[in-house]
Amino acid sequence: MIDLEFIINTVSLGSLYALLSLGLVFVYGILKLVNFAYGEYIMVAGYAMHVIGQNRGIPWYVTMAIAVLLAAAVSYATELVAFRPVRTKSLTALIVTSFAVSVFLQNVVLITISPRSRAVPLPAFFSQTLTLGTATIPVRNLVIIGTTIVLLIGLTFVMKKTVLGIAMRAAADKFTTTRLMGVPANLVISATFIISGLLAGVVAIFWVGRSASVDPLIGAAPLLIAFIATVMGGMHSLVGAVIGGFVYGLLFNILSIMLPATMISYRDAFMFMIVILFLLFRPEGIWRGGYTEERVG
Amino acid sequence: MLTVQNLYASYGAITALHGVSLEVAEGEIVALLGINGAGKSTTLKSITGVLRPVRGSITFLGEEIANKSPESTVKKGISLVPEGRDIFGSLTVEENLRLGAFANRDRARYKTDLDEMFQLFPILKERFHQAGGLLSGGEQQMLAIARALMSRPKLLMLDEPSLGLSPTMTDQIFELISGLHERGTTILLVEQNAERALEIVDRAYLLTTGSLEFSGTPDELRRKVDIASVYFGGEDDDHCEVQL
Amino acid sequence: MRLPEKISALLKRRSTLFLLLVPLIAVGFVLQAVGTPLILNIYTYFCVNLMIVLALQMFMGNSGILAWTHVAWVGIGAYASGILSMAPMVKSLGVPNMYPHLVELQLPVVPAILLGGVVAAIVAAIIGWPLMRLSNAVGVITLFATLIVVHVVMTQWDNVTNGPRTFFGLQEFTRLPQALVGAILVLLLAHWYRESSLGLRLRAARDDRFAAMAIGVSVVQVRYVAFVLSALIAGIGGGVWAHFITSFSPKAFYITETFLLLTMLVIGGQGSISGAFTGTALVTVAREVLRQVESGMNNSGMFSFEVYGLTELVMAVLMVIVLIWRPSGIIGGQEITWPLLKRKNRPDDGPGTDVVEPA
Repeated sequence: MIDLEFIINTVSLGSLYALLSLGLVFVYGILKLVNFAYGEYIMVAGYAMHVIGQNRGIPWYVTMAIAVLLAAAVSYATELVAFRPVRTKSLTALIVTSFAVSVFLQNVVLITISPRSRAVPLPAFFSQTLTLGTATIPVRNLVIIGTTIVLLIGLTFVMKKTVLGIAMRAAADKFTTTRLMGVPANLVISATFIISGLLAGVVAIFWVGRSASVDPLIGAAPLLIAFIATVMGGMHSLVGAVIGGFVYGLLFNILSIMLPATMISYRDAFMFMIVILFLLFRPEGIWRGGYTEERVG
Repeated sequence: MLTVQNLYASYGAITALHGVSLEVAEGEIVALLGINGAGKSTTLKSITGVLRPVRGSITFLGEEIANKSPESTVKKGISLVPEGRDIFGSLTVEENLRLGAFANRDRARYKTDLDEMFQLFPILKERFHQAGGLLSGGEQQMLAIARALMSRPKLLMLDEPSLGLSPTMTDQIFELISGLHERGTTILLVEQNAERALEIVDRAYLLTTGSLEFSGTPDELRRKVDIASVYFGGEDDDHCEVQL
Repeated sequence: MRLPEKISALLKRRSTLFLLLVPLIAVGFVLQAVGTPLILNIYTYFCVNLMIVLALQMFMGNSGILAWTHVAWVGIGAYASGILSMAPMVKSLGVPNMYPHLVELQLPVVPAILLGGVVAAIVAAIIGWPLMRLSNAVGVITLFATLIVVHVVMTQWDNVTNGPRTFFGLQEFTRLPQALVGAILVLLLAHWYRESSLGLRLRAARDDRFAAMAIGVSVVQVRYVAFVLSALIAGIGGGVWAHFITSFSPKAFYITETFLLLTMLVIGGQGSISGAFTGTALVTVAREVLRQVESGMNNSGMFSFEVYGLTELVMAVLMVIVLIWRPSGIIGGQEITWPLLKRKNRPDDGPGTDVVEPA
């Protein structure tokens, strides 16, 4: 049961989920906003691949690069147009705004493209497998692991070594004090939305890569996963988000194996029940960040 | 250098400042005294732009800065050491200082400024790679001051630098502040520890319940106002309106 | 005091209630007399929504906690009341796999709807007991996770809900008079609750949790009571809705509908009954108008493709505009009072959620 295949598949799933949660927690860290439009950035990248992919002359890596950049651009645009004006108001207004942005983006593609799912052309290696000893491993899974390693190293560098990265970490801790250092609030917040969008774009490539199709509601599932993984890992640190992603991937694969066939359709319910129970006993998540969520009573 | 005129500020329906005016000249060290809730921190918040004043004017080097954002006032040369120090606990001392220098990003200057800070605060060199949150209260206060100095401020404002520190540490901090003043830094100091503050400042303002009660030299203040009564509510009833 | 004085004093003291009830009832009566079936339908739908949104206001508006689970209670009430009220024959036809002892049950519609509410309240009471202890983001997220769990169960539990397939065959019990009575009762209850000592303590806990604890408010307890009460009313509202719409599937109790309910509450102002009322009215009207436009566009053949989703799109834009313009809703946190222009000058009793740092 626990063999090389299981390990690589779990690590690859965990990697994908780690990137996913990281994108969500970037914004949460600073604005304390659970961005419900996050899944739609993934959808946008998916549709970009669908539209650009129509033209066979464009190489796949160009298509993917454009898709990732477009997700970042849309993320930035939503910050500018929708979130910035409500940012200083109540948190509920902010969350509901993100909800509205999500509905808006979904319906834009619904109207302009189609409510039905569309095919996304992918490079051949996405569907190839590799044989290692007795294990058969999809090449895609190895690519995910590689991409995640590169991205995590890159992000660590940005957050630790650049002034902007340090400012972003500081702002997640004490926003006003960070501004008192001369760091413009808008700069930090825009930067987090752009990074969040970039991560969504990268995730989109692999998420869409599993089914080779995209539909207007494709963002819902990754949003949920990011949401839960983030909370489990700890909402207050980037490390926590990564850990949460891996734990979620592991839990998912274990439940898939352990649950009897009749119960498999309840897998999500089990996942979320475990999460709720876990949070009751440890509201701050696996990885304790800068501060903890209080629990009254 | 800094002129505040007839400043009104409020938190929602509660007015915290009723027409405060004060002035800090270049090279001066000035204290802003008063009990909890007198409006000292509110005044500083208004100057830095964290709080938007209701009316009144704040000019710095001849330029109106009321209603400017905090980030732009820092660039103009005002630096605040916040109350409770507000160190970034998860960032290292180095990273705290780098952020302090955000307003003037210049590699060469950063290095010289950093060396200067190490001379002023040798402990920070030792703790350079430690997380700010692991420092003791006094060390954090030093880091907060060093962080504020990294932007090479023309005016340094300190909000309750002695709060929560041991008496020896308080002595050190006050020594340091007067040292900074002797080197030519203009300072606006907010303190509850009035006696200590009066020892090192050129002039002082006394705030009660959001308006100016007195201004003058430390000697004048000592002569005209019974400081103990301000803080502990002596016979003079005017001074006892402790705001909740 | 003479009678007219008594009445005018009552009117003044309860002016909010009268300002909301009088138009609600008057419009109901007028429409009942002269309205077309379409208009009657829309007004009935409005009354049902009003019940559900007011129930949402009772918990979310007074506690400041984003109530993700609300639509789940509506769903539980809808399914439970349907199962209780349908004839065994219809049930075994509609839900082939239903447990035999559930098939045998049959009650008149009104007790079925009330019991549906009780079922929702019981589920809420079990789930809420641990969850009401959590605050901030974790509180929001666990409620959200609960919605997902309920949704998964609804879509998978073949033997009760017919799985993801449509659940159909309910009696068409809810018409305008029934819905109107329901809306009036819930409005009275929500108003009473907001002004009661329980509601007051909850609002205190919303505005400053620690200050409220310091004066002896048991935050968990007042939240819990509101949560269960809100679920009871939402469940009843769900039953009323189910007997209006007569067939539905689990999709009707998920994120899109949550968004709709939230829009209704937040656009008007979650902090007040008047806000919930206004928001529900505005959103119902706006949606119907947009739908007419949408189907008009599709029927006219103006476009070569179907314009599908325009209603939601415009609603989302309107929502963001309202939130930018008035973050605490059109009415805000204060109730409207008579005379309309002389509103008491006190700090906004807005949605007491944790405000983000000034940025």
